[in-house]
Amino acid sequence: MFISMKWLARHVDLSGITPEQLADDLTLSTCEVEGIERFAPHMSDVVVGHVLEREPHPDADKLGVARIDVGGDEPLQIVCGAPNLAPGQRVAVATIGTVLPGDFKIKKSKIRGVESRGMICSVRELDLGDEHDGIWVLPEVDETPLAVGQPVAAALGMEDWVIEVDNKSLTHRPDLWGHRGIARELAAIYERELKPIDLEMPALGGGAPVSVRVEDLACSRYLGLAIDGAVNGVSPDWLRELLLAVGQRPIDLLVDLSNFVMLDLGQPNHAFDRDRLASDGIVVRKASAGERMTTLDGEERELVESDLLITSGGDPVALAGVMGGEGSKVGDETGRLLLECATFDATTVRRTSARLAHRTDSSARFEKTLDPTLPEAAAAHFANLLRGLQPGVSFPCALADAGEWADPARSIHLRGDVVRRDLGVELDDDAIASILSRLGLTPTATSGGFDVAIPSARALKDLTMERDLVEEVGRIHRYGSVPEAPLVGAIEPPPFDRRRQMVRAVEDRLAGAARFHQVLSYSFTPDDLLERTGCAGGDFVRADNPVAPDMARVRREVLPSLLGLVESARRERDVVRLFELGKGYRPEEAGEDGMPREVHQLAMVLALPPGVAGAPFDAGAFFQLRAAVDDVITAAGVTAPCWASADAAHPAAHPVKQVSGAWSEDLDGCGFVASLEPGVARALGLEGELTSDVAVAVLDIDALLAAPASPPAYRPLPKFPMIKVDVACVAPSEMPAAELGGMIERAGKGAVRDLQLFDVFRGEALGEGKKSLAYHVVLQSDTKTLTDKDAQKFLGRLERSLEQQGAALRR
Amino acid sequence: MTDTTTILAETRARIADAPDVEALRAIEREVVGKDGVVASLLKSIPGLPPEERKGAGQSANELKQAVLAAIEEREASLGSAALEAERRADGFDGTLPPPRVERGTLHPVTQVTRELEDLFTSMGYMVLDGPEVELDDYNFEKLNIPADHPARDTQDTFYCSSPGSSASLLLRTHTSPVQVRAMERLEPPFRAIVPGKVFRQETTDASHEHTFHQMEGLVIDRNVSVGHLIGAMKTLLRGIFKKEIEVRLRPGYFPFVEPGFELDARCPFCTDGCSVCKRTTWIELLPCGLVHPNVLKAGGLDPEEWGGFAFGLGLSRLVMLRYGIDDVRHLLGGDLRFLDQF
Repeated sequence: MFISMKWLARHVDLSGITPEQLADDLTLSTCEVEGIERFAPHMSDVVVGHVLEREPHPDADKLGVARIDVGGDEPLQIVCGAPNLAPGQRVAVATIGTVLPGDFKIKKSKIRGVESRGMICSVRELDLGDEHDGIWVLPEVDETPLAVGQPVAAALGMEDWVIEVDNKSLTHRPDLWGHRGIARELAAIYERELKPIDLEMPALGGGAPVSVRVEDLACSRYLGLAIDGAVNGVSPDWLRELLLAVGQRPIDLLVDLSNFVMLDLGQPNHAFDRDRLASDGIVVRKASAGERMTTLDGEERELVESDLLITSGGDPVALAGVMGGEGSKVGDETGRLLLECATFDATTVRRTSARLAHRTDSSARFEKTLDPTLPEAAAAHFANLLRGLQPGVSFPCALADAGEWADPARSIHLRGDVVRRDLGVELDDDAIASILSRLGLTPTATSGGFDVAIPSARALKDLTMERDLVEEVGRIHRYGSVPEAPLVGAIEPPPFDRRRQMVRAVEDRLAGAARFHQVLSYSFTPDDLLERTGCAGGDFVRADNPVAPDMARVRREVLPSLLGLVESARRERDVVRLFELGKGYRPEEAGEDGMPREVHQLAMVLALPPGVAGAPFDAGAFFQLRAAVDDVITAAGVTAPCWASADAAHPAAHPVKQVSGAWSEDLDGCGFVASLEPGVARALGLEGELTSDVAVAVLDIDALLAAPASPPAYRPLPKFPMIKVDVACVAPSEMPAAELGGMIERAGKGAVRDLQLFDVFRGEALGEGKKSLAYHVVLQSDTKTLTDKDAQKFLGRLERSLEQQGAALRR
Repeated sequence: MTDTTTILAETRARIADAPDVEALRAIEREVVGKDGVVASLLKSIPGLPPEERKGAGQSANELKQAVLAAIEEREASLGSAALEAERRADGFDGTLPPPRVERGTLHPVTQVTRELEDLFTSMGYMVLDGPEVELDDYNFEKLNIPADHPARDTQDTFYCSSPGSSASLLLRTHTSPVQVRAMERLEPPFRAIVPGKVFRQETTDASHEHTFHQMEGLVIDRNVSVGHLIGAMKTLLRGIFKKEIEVRLRPGYFPFVEPGFELDARCPFCTDGCSVCKRTTWIELLPCGLVHPNVLKAGGLDPEEWGGFAFGLGLSRLVMLRYGIDDVRHLLGGDLRFLDQF
């Protein structure tokens, strides 16, 4: 919103206060000022010229050549086409070098062979209105022609500063949506008087009042003032300039006055041509479905049942609080008016203006919830201003005043001790009372504090409880005057947070030793990515108003977000390691309050260039990632789970190359590690030169938290030496390594300290359907030195157990 | 019989010429080994006349000792030559690039979050978490933002539906819902921060994102004042910027605090105006205020007994300020070229 300093000065004396200071003070006490600008800065460059003579142009019928005195040694010769230019006039001259609106720089030129040293300006060229029929003939001030050569702005008293206030900082203050409200704040800040203005309703005639019927509660008050004998036309300069300063284009007197009253008091209002209303007067009602109306801007709009309408003779004449209708607008001939000043429901107006994507100065104000006592003041203000300009106007009948409303004015008890406690300042009761009074609130001292009378304008939503008044005192007293204070009280370390500690340990291990990059992703997963990764199944929480139609689904799991990054990452580098710790939402497991279950997951992706023949069995992505997962589980301080082949661990998991982990049958599984499903890999674009060996893993953080902890534990260093035995087992191809490992462990009878697979071999020498797994085994006892005899016993036990399972020991 | 002196001379010459330790070992085997020259000399002794036997034995032993001494000497000199060569390190260039070490990274938002968590936990704050898919009730109603409140205009919300649920769900527009959740769950007094992801339905560009990170702070105690809030905020800023930062509070409207403030910090990056502070020397850094009595009530606390303050820190914005990131979309974009920089 734009605020004019000159306009403010109608309400409060601002002498001695610079625009910068005013902006700072408003920002620190009231609302955020976004900027200050000089009004029409070019008007300080354009000077008053005196037309000495006008000769016809020798070479062009429609042009004249004028000699203009601008106070210099010599008059300027200027070529001008305006028909109304005449000697003796005072005109606005843009001399060479002046820049006019639109970045138009005046240069010395020759027009049809005649030199021209400047430009005589029209109103439109100066951005002061639309008139462009001729040049602007400057008025006399105090019946004296203007002094030649001075800037026009100074000569006409047009200097002004425009302050832009951030509308968002005014959402809770409907009273600040007009100059008087801001002026009241300044009066409080600077301890100056708020000048009285005449808001008394003029004498009204005894004619039959205009009929007004309110049929809907969304209009709590509809006040209509009938005015006769108005003469529409061009507004006086002071009015035009104030409107221009705050960015309002002057239209005609009646519209300009209506806007002025809104921008002065904050009450939107609308002038109807009474002769264009039907005889039944005004009916305020909701629209019926499919009803249409043409608004002031000439657009035909389709209405819905929630729109509130002002109608006459059954037809809509205005969209309540948003915009007037084309049919009943005031025009040049309007002499008989009906001025509407009403109070409409904030939500109703907001919905209509949002649906039509049409926010107006009026709707912006109604959305803030307006004071129902304000219409009367606004109508009187309009009437008095008009009568001041046109003493001939009359008000033929009583006010039409319909609707059900109650004055929100109230009283709030305020304790001085509460002010001092909440603000943390020493401020005595007198100082508190002074601030409240300056703000237009009325404190009456009672024991321990005040009963503070809150006027209607502030009482609706803004000031409803004691704490609201604490803020009033604080902001005028200035928060800058509040001394900084340390929080006192026992500081205890917060309770141990195992989840956070575990998450940090996991992050550190992955980003550190495991060399993964941490990703944070959007919670929306695009439909297309879900399809490509095979993860579109299951119920999703969906945004009703997504940023894009295919971005409505809130993710159930984290993995697809990472998979969506693999293709572009693989273009960048050979080895891609990514992880994300994040949340997913499962509607099918909703809690009692209807909220979907939240899962906390660690997802990991490892992508490598395709494997080469002859590489070690554990060189591929699957085993590399398994190693990283085991390492992370150790870092999390949790016992290693048992990994077993599973089917259908995940839609993006390879049907065979996958394992799932679990600690016991009673506990939830911890997650899975798998190679990427080959079809998914292709769908993700990992083919051709981007063909990759990709493994994925998902761990459930809640399962990790529930798993048996395995903190580092000391174990005495061995007293007896270890012996190393290498064993090679030939087993059927389908026998899992985990089973062989188990047999070796058992054969060791507790003496197996370490077991490391170092070779996996398949070949003709072994026979069809066989594989050989070779291990380094470390045997060690806590009670004696093991000998070769012990090793042989171990091998014997192993051989027997292998043979029982259809495997064999290679000796 | 061969003259041991000649043998010694020849052997010494070969030892002197031996290029390496292996050659020395070969000579050693040949001369003093089990079947070597010395051994055969000794073997031949029994066939000698008795008066020569003693001398022959002596000569053979002397030969052995002399050869071994020569080998040892040569070996030592070969060793020191090797050491010397190693020390000379011909052709070494320490400026050749070392092998590249790939590294992993923590996301910059994680890094800054941790820094703040550590700062706050050292002052007795707990770190809390809350749901991203939230109930309308917690995001708005209990925060004193009723259904028709204009504040809902400015917070463009992703409203949500969840199959089988009739609850009014949304993606939380701020971390503030955790204020009430914390009051419901914890015994006052307490201090807590809530880092997390929040959502706004808005068109994205270099400075706008529909998903970003925030950190809520909440202190609930008796007799908490604006003065305490100012003190806490200055401590926070000192922790973030590692220097004393001047602040100013000005009125700001947030329905869940009263009075509510915008806290501006004196721009930490300049003294006379820069692009970060838009030439004003102030940067709008965190909204804050005293917890609104209605919010305390919603959290089950008596506003006559308990009070508190709350603040909201834009984590994403702070990360951008810290590293000079010019496009907010990088944060959640997952581009390795971005992630690798932190």
